[in-house]
Amino acid sequence: MDSHFILRRISSLAGIVPIGLFLVYHLYMQLYLHSGAEIYNNEVNSFYDSPLATWALIIVVYIPLLLHSIMGVILVFDNKIQPSYTYFSHLLYWLQRLSGIGVLLFIIAHIWNAKLGPWIEGTWGTHFEHLSSGFTDPETGMITKTVYVLGVIGAVFHFSNGLNTFCMTWGIALTPTSQKRVRIFSYLVFIFLIVSTFYALSAIW
Amino acid sequence: MLDTLTFKIKRQNNAESSPYWENFVIQYIPNSNVISCLMDIQTNPVNSKGEKVAPVVWQSNCLEEVCGSCTMVINGKVHQACSALIDKLEKPIILEPMSKFPVIRDLIVDRSRMFDALKKVQAWVSADGYHDLGPGDSQSQSVQEVAYKLSECMTCGCCVEACPQYTKDNNFLGAAAINQARLFNIHQKGNDITEQRLDTLMQEGGISDCGNAQNCVEVCPKSIPLTESIAEIGRQVSGKLWRNIFKA
Ligand code: HEM
Ligand code: SF4
Ligand code: SF4
Ligand code: FES
Repeated sequence: MDSHFILRRISSLAGIVPIGLFLVYHLYMQLYLHSGAEIYNNEVNSFYDSPLATWALIIVVYIPLLLHSIMGVILVFDNKIQPSYTYFSHLLYWLQRLSGIGVLLFIIAHIWNAKLGPWIEGTWGTHFEHLSSGFTDPETGMITKTVYVLGVIGAVFHFSNGLNTFCMTWGIALTPTSQKRVRIFSYLVFIFLIVSTFYALSAIW
Repeated sequence: MLDTLTFKIKRQNNAESSPYWENFVIQYIPNSNVISCLMDIQTNPVNSKGEKVAPVVWQSNCLEEVCGSCTMVINGKVHQACSALIDKLEKPIILEPMSKFPVIRDLIVDRSRMFDALKKVQAWVSADGYHDLGPGDSQSQSVQEVAYKLSECMTCGCCVEACPQYTKDNNFLGAAAINQARLFNIHQKGNDITEQRLDTLMQEGGISDCGNAQNCVEVCPKSIPLTESIAEIGRQVSGKLWRNIFKA
């Protein structure tokens, strides 16, 4: 066992637990947008009531995400581009890398927009109002919405397709038949998360 | 009906010199293949400008897609030249040596890296010595059915040529070697060094260099289930990782 193997395995695992689970939880939380400002803000803020909230975020989200992102960015460049092999899974291989970079940029923008920005302004806590005013702003609303739509599609694709390659990497799905089953499952996860998130966002559109 | 054929060939005089393109126009013959056309060019090595040049060289042996030596990049995709039928190819036909190996001359490359990879994963049964070992253990029907398919690999290089993760400047062992490790790990006599093979595959250049692009399985001329082999080795190293953590 060398460090390359171990880092790849840790970063592959990190993509599912904890980051992937966090993504699913995070997208689920957005359904509360339909319950109105008060309930939504309460749901989000109540997480921070726990004394462990900050630590939990650092350990469960930020550190694994940082590790996975560094590994991911290295992987994006460690290969040879071979466009003449036009196979579907080869396309997915590149979309996995492209969406990884997209998600990285989105996460930076998202943390700035939803967390650091309001913190600095001292308006942090009124999440619903902040989000919906950002979405309906006559000048920048369209841009914000586009960034969120692309970010969500990218993150959900990256996670769903990642489930797929995860099962191959760890030897969970062995035969072509079981690999196909996992692939169909990942399509369903993709559709489910996309529909659920866009439904959630429709509350503040 | 075609009566002539144009070949655009990427040539190189020796390992050190730089490559150049040369066109050849030859008589079209129905049912010919890339090797038979290269033979035509060899008998009359005149390029499309009418200059007499050194004949284009290539490697081939079996001429029936079992030895793997004639593998080259034909119209952008890696394939055996002997089984690449002219009637099925787009024209003009573009021939290049494989891009992942050092070129020796014209279409001949040095595939030593693949054979070195087989050595690294010890893709053999380690029965040694001159004494009589008696009859070998018999192989069960179910193992035989899996093993036969895996054993058809001819080390042609298609899988690694098409793999985006196999580059000239990394040490990835490639799908073929991973598949052979699987073959000998299920062999009733070869499995005594399973752990050593897994050790090698858990080092740099091993299984963790695979990025799941799955081009290998698409291009393998022997239709070897390479992604199944990669997943199976992935499972074996997952087990070993577990054992290393909790039994160390
Ligand atoms: C922040 C920027 C990110 C970058 C640059 C990135 C990059 C990558 C890359 C290049 C791969 C391919 C690895 C491979 O094929 O072996 C990958 C796999 C994966 N990513 Fe990400 N990623 C990022 C964020 C995320 C997030 C937010 C999640 C969770 C939703 C995630 C989940 C996964 C999963 C589950 C895999 C599959 C692991 C495997 O194949 O074993 N990634 N990532
Ligand atoms: S696995 Fe298939 S493509 Fe790869 S070297 Fe063997 S026969 Fe060729
Ligand atoms: S699955 Fe993709 S990355 Fe892995 S060996 Fe095959 S072609 Fe290369
Ligand atoms: S000459 Fe043997 S495979 Fe083509």
